[in-house]
Amino acid sequence: MKIVVVFKWARNPLDARVSADAAVSWPGVKLAASDDDPAAMEIAVALAAGDEVVGLTIGDGDTAWAAARGAARTVVVTGTPGEADSAATGAALAEAVRRMAGVGAVLIGDSAWDYAVISALAGRLGWPAVAGVTAAACSEQGELRVTRRLGAAIQVLAAAGPVVLAVTASRAEKNVPGMKEVLAARKKPAEKIAAADLLDAAIAYRVQTQGTRFPDTPPARVIDGGDPRTACEQLIAALRVEGVI
Amino acid sequence: MAIDSWVIIVDENRAGGMLDAARRLGGRVTAAVAGKRDLAERAADMGFDQVLCWETADGVPAEAYAAALAERAAQDAPRLVLASDAPPARVLLGAAAAALNAAVVASVRAVAAAEENIVVSRAAAEGKVLEDIAVSGALAGIFDGDDAEQRGDAAVTVEIVPAEAGAALRVLSTEAESGAAGLLTAARVVGVGMGLRARDDLRIVEDLAAVLGAETACTLPVCDDMRWFAAHSVVGSSHSRIAPTLYIALGISGQPQHMSGVRDAKVVVAVNSDPEARIFKNCDYGIVGDLYKIVPELTAAFAATKNP
Ligand SMILES: Cc1cc2nc3c(=O)[nH]c(=O)nc-3n(C[C@H](O)[C@H](O)[C@H](O)COP(=O)(O)OP(=O)(O)OC[C@H]3O[C@@H](n4cnc5c(N)ncnc54)[C@H](O)[C@@H]3O)c2cc1C
Ligand SMILES: Cc1cc2nc3c(=O)[nH]c(=O)nc-3n(C[C@H](O)[C@H](O)[C@H](O)COP(=O)(O)OP(=O)(O)OC[C@H]3O[C@@H](n4cnc5c(N)ncnc54)[C@H](O)[C@@H]3O)c2cc1C
Repeated sequence: MKIVVVFKWARNPLDARVSADAAVSWPGVKLAASDDDPAAMEIAVALAAGDEVVGLTIGDGDTAWAAARGAARTVVVTGTPGEADSAATGAALAEAVRRMAGVGAVLIGDSAWDYAVISALAGRLGWPAVAGVTAAACSEQGELRVTRRLGAAIQVLAAAGPVVLAVTASRAEKNVPGMKEVLAARKKPAEKIAAADLLDAAIAYRVQTQGTRFPDTPPARVIDGGDPRTACEQLIAALRVEGVI
Repeated sequence: MAIDSWVIIVDENRAGGMLDAARRLGGRVTAAVAGKRDLAERAADMGFDQVLCWETADGVPAEAYAAALAERAAQDAPRLVLASDAPPARVLLGAAAAALNAAVVASVRAVAAAEENIVVSRAAAEGKVLEDIAVSGALAGIFDGDDAEQRGDAAVTVEIVPAEAGAALRVLSTEAESGAAGLLTAARVVGVGMGLRARDDLRIVEDLAAVLGAETACTLPVCDDMRWFAAHSVVGSSHSRIAPTLYIALGISGQPQHMSGVRDAKVVVAVNSDPEARIFKNCDYGIVGDLYKIVPELTAAFAATKNP
């Protein structure tokens, strides 16, 4: 099955710098692979069973990332609008997928960094979609078996393609590609497409950021534990006022 | 200007919070339920102005109704659609957003009407700040603000929307994760992280839990690397999400993957020896100190109070 893996399409919120006036900046921060991206890649390679895996990313993400993990080639959508406009990012990714013929599944890291892109991509493609996916395999009849976590339950679904699967990882990547794989990956083909060529100019979501501010939730009350007994008494008194003990 | 909204519901999580948020726009709020009929009935009790239900057939997941739900959304044309971050809800939201040509925004905490715009406040930079975004068209938002208890005076009648689910998605099996049940419903949970040095030291944690009548839980490395707990005791984004009234985190640094699992806890207490630990930015009360000194003292102090 031919598979597209969408990778490195968001920035790690932990990399954001917040200044004293609550302004957010991203000095030198690039789009990064989330913890979930390698899991999506791993499932993709297994599902493809030798068929083509195409990496799809946006912006200036390193094209070697998917290629070093088994993708045959990479497509980069450049010039997607800003972060606030996830619908346009999702639409551009969907359009890029649509232009590739014969795709059986689109896999994307189900990254909490920006759930909006995942929803927008799945919605724009209009394909059956499942999020929270932890595993996927092909049955002997060639049908997709998708495992996902749903609250406290583990659910197995049968899916008839083409489908969108948002994959969630439960641990860090085990076999990170080495220098050799990365160097070889850099020789694989990478193609750039401008978002403006993919998106109908009419798709304008008219979002405008009005800036950032600190939330008005009070900061934690932090007690010095130098004197453990006094600290515990203070804590218990506070928990009483909260009504939780 | 009154702005009509839809709230997509696949389970009860944050349904009341989303209704409360959507009410701020002053318009009609419709519950779009993809699930069993009793879920729709409970939504009706919450006081939605209208309840639409795509009743899921046995063996059919909620996502299978995405196209049907999107079609109705296009007809009704709400300006705002909210959904929780539950996986099926996010898929349904995406379908509705495409049908409405809506902007899509995640981590929504609140919405407000400002002249012709909807102003959505979303958490950014790991919740350190809120960003206000003005949206002039339709908006689809993934809501992770606080839940709110909601109760309507007169329950509306549930409208069952006849719909084809198609054959693309079928449920083959659903199995509850064994062992997790007690933790998931516990009113009090004591969580332990890598600040604990040895397995034998779990005793002091268990003593505290016993005094409080609490369940114990852990972070991922305590299970994966140390193997002191089974996987069903891990709390976090990739494991169990819990909502106790009291969560006490012992020797836990507060990485987002862990903290998202306790986002719905009422009060989070952290004990950590590092005053710079992230968790102190993410809890209600903290004690900066060595857990080996604090925990026995805490156990004694709770034991000395009448009804801990
Ligand atoms: C599970 C997981 C989670 C991650 N989470 C985050 C995150 O939250 N935030 C974040 O910013 N990044 C994260 N990363 C790192 C991210 O995937 C990238 O590695 C990083 O952003 C650099 O991107 P890149 O595309 O340049 O990486 P790559 O293309 O993999 O390589 C980066 C550079 O390092 C060199 N290189 C690669 N491998 C080796 C090697 N073995 N020895 C010597 N040189 C090497 C390459 O030549 C290249 O110049 C995560 C990685 C993993 C595996
Ligand atoms: C894909 C992926 C999914 C993940 N999913 C989850 C998940 O679901 N749940 C989860 O928990 N993690 C998850 N993680 C791991 C997560 O990123 C963190 O690594 C983990 O939560 C850290 O655990 P910790 O706080 O116990 O350990 P550490 O980060 O090592 O923190 C230990 C803390 O103990 C404190 N300490 C040390 N000694 C003492 C003492 N004597 N007294 C008091 N405090 C002390 C230290 O100051 C430190 O803050 C995931 C990671 C990945 C990559």
